[in-house]
Amino acid sequence: MEFKLFLFWVVSLILVGAAVGVITTRNPVQAALFLVLAFFNSAIIWMLMEAEFLSITLVLVYVGAVMVLFLFVVMMLDINLSPLREGFTRYLPLGGLVAALIVGEIVLLISNKWFSAENFPVPAARPADYSNTEELGVAMYTDYLLQFEIAAVILLVAIIAAIALTMRRRPDTKYQRPAEQVQVRKEDRLRIVSMDSGNQESQ
Amino acid sequence: MKLLYILTPLAPLFGAIACGFFGRKLGRTNSHRVAIAGVAVAFLFSLIALIVQMGDDAKVFNETIYTWMVSGGIKFEVGFLVDRLTVVMMTVVTSVSLMVHIYTIGYMHDDPGYQRFFSYISLFTFAMLMLVMANNFMQLFFGWEAVGLVSYLLIGFWYKKPTAIFANLKAFLVNRVGDFGFLLGIAAVLVYMGSLNYTEVFAAAPAVVGQSMEVIPGVAWSVMTVTCICLFIGAMGKSAQIPLHVWLPDSMEGPTPISALIHAATMVTAGIFMVARMSPLFELSETALSFVLIIGSLTALLMGLIGIVQNDIKRVVAYSTLSQLGYMTVALGASAYGAAIFHLMTHAFFKALLFLAAGSVIIALHHEQDIRKMGGLKKYMPVTYWTSLIGTLALIGFPGFSGFFSKDAIIEAVHHSQITGASFAYVCVLLGVFITAYYSFRMFFLVFHGETRMDDHTRDHCHEPPRVVTVPLILLAIPSVILGAMTIGPMLFGGFFGDAIQVAPEHDVLAELGAGYHGAFQFVLHGFKTPALYLALAGAVAAWFIHLQKPGIATWFAEKFSVVHRILDNKYGFDAFNEKVFAGGARQVADRLWKVGDVKLIDGLMVNGTANGIGLISNIVRTLQTGYLFHYAFAMIVGLLALLSVFIFSA
Amino acid sequence: MLCAICAILLCDLYSKDGRRLTYILSQVALVGTLFFTWGVTPDGSATAFGGSFVMDTMSSVLKSWILIVSIGVLLYSRDYVLEREITTGEYYTLALSGVLGMMIMVSSSTMLTLYLGLELLSLSLYAMAALNRKDVRCAEAAMKYFVLGALASGLLLYGISMIYGATGSLVFSEIAAAMAADSSSSAAVFGLAFVVAGIAFKFGAAPFHMWVPDVYDGAPTSVTLYISAAPKMAAFALAIRFLVDGLGTAHDSWQGMLVILALLSIVLGNLIAIAQVSIKRMLAYSTISHVGFILLGVLSGQAEGYSASMFYAITYALTSMAAFGVILVMDRNGVDIHLLTDLRGLFRRNPVYAFVMLIVMVSMAGVPPTVGFYAKFVVLDAVVSVGLIWLAVVAVVFSVVGAFYYLRVIKYMFFDDPIEAQPVLAPIDVSAGLAVNGAALLMLGLFPGWIMAACIAAFS
Repeated sequence: MEFKLFLFWVVSLILVGAAVGVITTRNPVQAALFLVLAFFNSAIIWMLMEAEFLSITLVLVYVGAVMVLFLFVVMMLDINLSPLREGFTRYLPLGGLVAALIVGEIVLLISNKWFSAENFPVPAARPADYSNTEELGVAMYTDYLLQFEIAAVILLVAIIAAIALTMRRRPDTKYQRPAEQVQVRKEDRLRIVSMDSGNQESQ
Repeated sequence: MKLLYILTPLAPLFGAIACGFFGRKLGRTNSHRVAIAGVAVAFLFSLIALIVQMGDDAKVFNETIYTWMVSGGIKFEVGFLVDRLTVVMMTVVTSVSLMVHIYTIGYMHDDPGYQRFFSYISLFTFAMLMLVMANNFMQLFFGWEAVGLVSYLLIGFWYKKPTAIFANLKAFLVNRVGDFGFLLGIAAVLVYMGSLNYTEVFAAAPAVVGQSMEVIPGVAWSVMTVTCICLFIGAMGKSAQIPLHVWLPDSMEGPTPISALIHAATMVTAGIFMVARMSPLFELSETALSFVLIIGSLTALLMGLIGIVQNDIKRVVAYSTLSQLGYMTVALGASAYGAAIFHLMTHAFFKALLFLAAGSVIIALHHEQDIRKMGGLKKYMPVTYWTSLIGTLALIGFPGFSGFFSKDAIIEAVHHSQITGASFAYVCVLLGVFITAYYSFRMFFLVFHGETRMDDHTRDHCHEPPRVVTVPLILLAIPSVILGAMTIGPMLFGGFFGDAIQVAPEHDVLAELGAGYHGAFQFVLHGFKTPALYLALAGAVAAWFIHLQKPGIATWFAEKFSVVHRILDNKYGFDAFNEKVFAGGARQVADRLWKVGDVKLIDGLMVNGTANGIGLISNIVRTLQTGYLFHYAFAMIVGLLALLSVFIFSA
Repeated sequence: MLCAICAILLCDLYSKDGRRLTYILSQVALVGTLFFTWGVTPDGSATAFGGSFVMDTMSSVLKSWILIVSIGVLLYSRDYVLEREITTGEYYTLALSGVLGMMIMVSSSTMLTLYLGLELLSLSLYAMAALNRKDVRCAEAAMKYFVLGALASGLLLYGISMIYGATGSLVFSEIAAAMAADSSSSAAVFGLAFVVAGIAFKFGAAPFHMWVPDVYDGAPTSVTLYISAAPKMAAFALAIRFLVDGLGTAHDSWQGMLVILALLSIVLGNLIAIAQVSIKRMLAYSTISHVGFILLGVLSGQAEGYSASMFYAITYALTSMAAFGVILVMDRNGVDIHLLTDLRGLFRRNPVYAFVMLIVMVSMAGVPPTVGFYAKFVVLDAVVSVGLIWLAVVAVVFSVVGAFYYLRVIKYMFFDDPIEAQPVLAPIDVSAGLAVNGAALLMLGLFPGWIMAACIAAFS
């Protein structure tokens, strides 16, 4: 138990540090890598809470797919994001003040007695053969079937939207149409022009 | 039955909408077809309603059709109360309206605003039906105002004519004065009786009798009296009683069918109808009744006198209408509500007849309205002549004609009334009879007899107008003759109105009359014993003598008694007085207010100031919308902060 | 509830092409769904999918209106979409999926379903706002909308997780029970603040309104029409489900928040609208102020207030639809009308549209006998009945201020000379739709009874 608590603190600290790193660093690639670090750490925290499936999914999907895609884009576009950050210090005082106020208010609320530990009893330990993944699957396809389907529709809409927004027919792009090339006939290409044979120049 | 009642006012409304919005597409012929069909349907339904209500076991229909909103316990609703009083009014309104619609085809034939005109008069019919069928004050007021609005539009129908614009403005303003009183009356009803529904108000009314209110501190007035007088002020505006009568003669600037519609059958009688409908209230205040009586008798007499000196054919008829309205008001004041409605009904027909006849003359003479330039038209326009004669005889109360019954009933009722001012009123109405006869026949003789005074060109073209004009004349002439004799028995003495009109036993003059009533024929015979008939005959003879035999007398009279003549010609100076004192004074006050209050304070400081201020603020606040994404996000976060703070500080 | 699936299936059809066909199919889908909604309306309330989908009077009334309004919206925007060469198939697909999202929102009984429905709607809206790819302003507007919307979704989700943490349930009825048992659970109320922020964003209430003018202005007019009409009703459902069904017992807490939002919306919306010269921006700010009115009814915390708000939301959707409908038909020949002054002399160019616009403006200004007056009246009545008279007074004062810019539009239309004399024409079905729409605004003002009765039934 002690080790778990210790691990939680360490991982949490790294997580917060990485999150700060994401927004302060100037280099976008570094920022993305900080984000990867943050994902890893939150995956560990989930693992500590015995949510193995979710933590592995987090690593696979976010680190493995989303962040890699993101890094590709950043590298391909080669944007220097630093000018965009010039306002950072200018807006820091005001932004910091508001952030501090919100944090203060949240702390004020959470330090309320309602959030003290005795209100949240530690759940009983699961038996060894308990499968987190199976439980999730059962819940998803029984109780939350509708939500699951709606989520599927959302993805469908996202696909449609993405295609609609990016797919375009460029009239100026030049490409071959083999089917038409094969079907071409003589009349399409050849034009017979009948010309006067006489010499108009002389008249 | 309910559906039928709903459809009755809606049919003309449909006609109005069709003509108003799609008139151009429909074309002239279809427009008038649609409008006439609408009114004809309404007329038919009114007739059915009349027959149903005439039945012995007919139930009064009183239902709320639709509740618009409920606010603070007050309901604003649309509902119909159909009892015998209502069906009489409905039939009168729709039948006269139908005649006027048909007549309009001929009269307005060449007018560019043909469809617009049909739209207006159909709308007018709708508004009037809503007014008479209302079962609550709210709807009554709606109909009241709608009627006022349409009459405003109609009087100014020829909006390019400055006098028409002036006249409709005048009608509008004078009616506003009356409406203000009416509104105060409704407010008083609402405050003291806690409802707008007729039935509830009438049930609550007796409890209010003893109460008094202090409008001016220290002076206690009876609530009932104040309420009734306020309501009656509204009636004075609509029904053109002294001193709010000034708009009616000027409103003759409108097309003739309108004069007939507004003045004869409908709008002006709205006030009479309203007071009759409110009889349970008026019965509770004898002071208010006396007030009504005296105003009515003054109107009956004085307006008749003015009629003598008028030369415009339509104005003569207009003043005679004023005088007849005075008669009806007198009947109301004497608690002879039945007689008032009876006279209203008969008058509607014969006055519409007279107006349309006048219109017919005007068409024939190419819109010449001065009776001094007419004369001898008998041989050119026989139909108009005979129908006019019937109308005139009915108007003066010649025995047997409808006007005779109703007018005589009123005179007798006043004679029997014990209320304060009744004896004064009796004298007034008796004199009124003479005067009515005099001016009616003066006009009649000047127009149809004697030598022709128009120019040759007009005379050559003078002929009977088309059939759409003459048919309504004939149709209206029939009830002008027989309606009185047919309906006097049941309507006045047969308890026809049932509970619709309530009369306190000590005021019930009609019951006293009824005791001596033995059929219409007896009533006619009795008429020969009363002074009224002889006064009427004397008036007619005087008119004949002065204007046909010795035309010099009139001029001589005018010269010798120039003061009297001038007073009458100036209509007792009501107009001048209003012009100078009210309009002039108001204009001066308004001028001051305008210069100091409006221009400097309101315009400068408040309106422009506020507008500028708001514009300024608006421009400043607008800069918040910078267009930068992070500003927006920041605003959202600040908003969140605010919401959290609210929660923290409230918890 | 099958109607949802019905819509999805039809949705799929549209991925294929065929412009006219797509339009017709979309309309058929909407009409079919409408009848389906009427057909399956139960007497009381019924739930499905393990209690995550609820069917009650409110949901069926709102669904019907969402569908009716959407039918009108697609009708008005048909030609516009064709003319602008906006990818038609996608336009209708996205519009329909947005409608689906709204319907899910309206009849969801758990926070999760509600959130997913909202995301479905939002995603469709983001994409639709960006559909006109040739226009830079359009892309900018869509971008702003997307980023801010994501932020708002984050806030909403955070609030949901707090409420879930505090009450241990996602289902509104269970949340309400948990809240009633333990009213001091501040964590739930803490989450509430975030939820309210999310709702306010979806409504476009100040100070979460910043996206509204930019998106209204930047997006293609047909999309603006879509955004401005039906989603308001969905947002209303969102608010009611969360605040009333779920957190009704915390009424004291959210009332204060809504007072701020409503007040700011009415004041800012009306004030800024005056300074606008662009008609779409002006209508955007006017929307903000109307949203303030909808919130006024909700914050009263009483059944009358909720039904008043519902009435307001429905009628506002109709009004807004007519307003943008007229702007759409004026957008002929590829030239968007942009400035208020472009409306000049509309009366001469097409009196029918001018009259429709007149009714719209008068209704928005709240002049009797139009429906806008009645809607404002019932809302204010509800506010006064809970004793917040000062709030009602402020609302009235600022709606009078607001009347100024509505009247200005009328002045332009009727009293100024047109810049171009050619008449504005539209296909007969669009004209008829607009005329019916305008007439409906007038008739509903005179006979609000039946919708009002439905709204009252929804909360009794």
